[in-house]
Amino acid sequence: MLLPFAGLFLGFLIWPLLNALYFAFTDFNGVTPPSWTGLDNFRRLWFEDPRFRTALVNSLIYVTCTVTLSTVASLALAVAFRGTSWRDRVLRTIFFLPSVTSTIAVMLIWRWIFSGERFGLANTVLSWFGADPVSWLSTPRWTVPLLVIMAVWGGCGYGMVIFVSGLNAIPDELYEAARLDGATDWQQFRHITLPQLKPVTTYVVITGLIGAFQVFEAVYIVFRGVSSVGGVQDGGLMLVPYLYDLGFTRFQLGYASAIAWTLFLIIFVISMIQLRVTRALREW
Amino acid sequence: MHRRSLAAVAAAMLLAAGCTTTGTSTAPQEDAEGPAELLFWNTGSDEQAAAVQVAADRYKELHPNVTIRVQAIAWDDGHAKVLTAATSRSGPDIISGGLSWGIEFGELGGMVDLNGFDLGQAKQQTRPELWNSITSPGGAVYGIPMDMTLYVFYYRPDLLQKAGVSAPPATWAELFTAVDRLKASGVATPLVEEWGTFEWLPWFNYLKQAGGSLYSEDCTQVTINSEQAVLATTTWADQYRRYGVPKATVDVGAGLAKGEYAMAIGASYLAGGFDSGQPELRGKWQTAALPTGPAGAGSFVGGKIVGAMSYTKHPRAAAEFVKWLYTDEAVEILQREVFTRGGELYISPRPELLAKANASDNLKQTLQTTLNSVTGPPNCKGWETSGSEVSRRLQAVVNDNADPRTALAEAAAVMQGNLG
Repeated sequence: MLLPFAGLFLGFLIWPLLNALYFAFTDFNGVTPPSWTGLDNFRRLWFEDPRFRTALVNSLIYVTCTVTLSTVASLALAVAFRGTSWRDRVLRTIFFLPSVTSTIAVMLIWRWIFSGERFGLANTVLSWFGADPVSWLSTPRWTVPLLVIMAVWGGCGYGMVIFVSGLNAIPDELYEAARLDGATDWQQFRHITLPQLKPVTTYVVITGLIGAFQVFEAVYIVFRGVSSVGGVQDGGLMLVPYLYDLGFTRFQLGYASAIAWTLFLIIFVISMIQLRVTRALREW
Repeated sequence: MHRRSLAAVAAAMLLAAGCTTTGTSTAPQEDAEGPAELLFWNTGSDEQAAAVQVAADRYKELHPNVTIRVQAIAWDDGHAKVLTAATSRSGPDIISGGLSWGIEFGELGGMVDLNGFDLGQAKQQTRPELWNSITSPGGAVYGIPMDMTLYVFYYRPDLLQKAGVSAPPATWAELFTAVDRLKASGVATPLVEEWGTFEWLPWFNYLKQAGGSLYSEDCTQVTINSEQAVLATTTWADQYRRYGVPKATVDVGAGLAKGEYAMAIGASYLAGGFDSGQPELRGKWQTAALPTGPAGAGSFVGGKIVGAMSYTKHPRAAAEFVKWLYTDEAVEILQREVFTRGGELYISPRPELLAKANASDNLKQTLQTTLNSVTGPPNCKGWETSGSEVSRRLQAVVNDNADPRTALAEAAAVMQGNLG
């Protein structure tokens, strides 16, 4: 019974992972056989590669902003629309829609919104106030903020649904007791809702964090038409697009594998820290 | 029992996966007349692939045992697809793609060196600058030019006249004077660029017009940090900083039609779409060669190469078809079909056949003039990796007011490192 699953699991998950780990220690261009180089790829990556540092810093800023804003927005939406009325259901559906819409379609719309031409939606709005059009996508300082806006808009609906189920699982007795003791709405939220939502919050933060570190489509679709992968002056270069660029544009598959494993280690370590902190807070 | 089965499955998968990196090829069949069934991945639109299929069908009439099936692959992921094919040693027999792809994939061992199939005629018929771009430093030719893309200066004569500019600008000075006058006459964005916008490609035009180069002729020295390059970079950067050229790619046809743009430096492929995409623009646009710099005319030429993959079982049949695409008959079919199916202009690597292209006399004249001063992408080692690094340094001159000399020195260091 387990054999088909085991075969697929080994063939499509374990084997590629181990293969990538092996390639990370080789010089491999994809066509000629790989040659063993030991830790060279990792040494170059961590100590000699300014583009990797750019990608890492951009990714950390993007992840921090996206996860924080998404989590706060998701929770706010969940608290606002947690009920069973038609209004709440309709609004929950509207906010959840981006999560089930084709990413490519959504990104193409964002590209139109932030088009540098006068017909771009953002520039049209600016023109109402007499402002000159802005080259949103080819101005490096705008790149990460735009990516954060896109991610928060697209991701908060999913977080909202998770938070709504978490909110509905909190026993009403806790709120009734608090109200009898004279607790205000804010005190109830601060001392009942938030502590009760810790497991859900942990889940939303960790899955959001993993997703944010792996951002690719937004950078690739929105900024690729503007400049090379990562946008103008690498303003939006993130780890996965950089991995793609090196692996599939520059044929450095060994080096790209080293980036992939580095990304895995970063996500693993941050997730472990997050879990430990959450556990400590719960025990406290 | 279960453990044994699991081990067998794992071993089979390991073997299968191992084949993807070591690869074995069957002994090639050397008969040009077939029998052979060839798959051709043509990078570009479905309409272009359909046009090439018409040529392939005609080839089959001449060589009944050779069947060629043409499939379109998109520019967006074509590069990665061809790499995957080369890695797995399975996929198309013939590919077409960017001018630099031949050297890239060929040097990796992914493509056949066509020198073994008598390229004399094709070499003789191609402009030397273009042929040099597709020849590897070691002399190998992994793909021969299939079509060309040139830079063209597009403009609206009526808007220029309204602004008091009687003729298309012929020099840098005239270009920027025209921009000022057009701006004063109410044109929102007098000049735009399309094709590698805000990348090294349009900058390269200025570099040539200033008399500079990227590498020495023999590819032993990086020459990007010259005084000519500084002048080119300053002028190119001024386009954006002083004259308001957009840094993002724009819809040239729509902008010209609305009168928002009056002049554009863009690719020759744009010309085919103006009349069909913007009917109101019909008869209102003209073309000219790019304005010249202190060293005269000069511009970049790009396009596609076509070549055979190294694992093909029919390298000779593939090579013969690739060479046949240079014949008068094949060029005429492609000129006709590419225009009929997609409204696009097909520019053959044989410039003497340009006269038969579906284009206005003005455009043909522009292309003919431009062809006399074109330079293809460098074939020097490491340029593919260096190109985007150079773009980043150039962009810093515009966005961060970086000193052009410093930016070019940094670019030179990167290029020298990649040159080895």
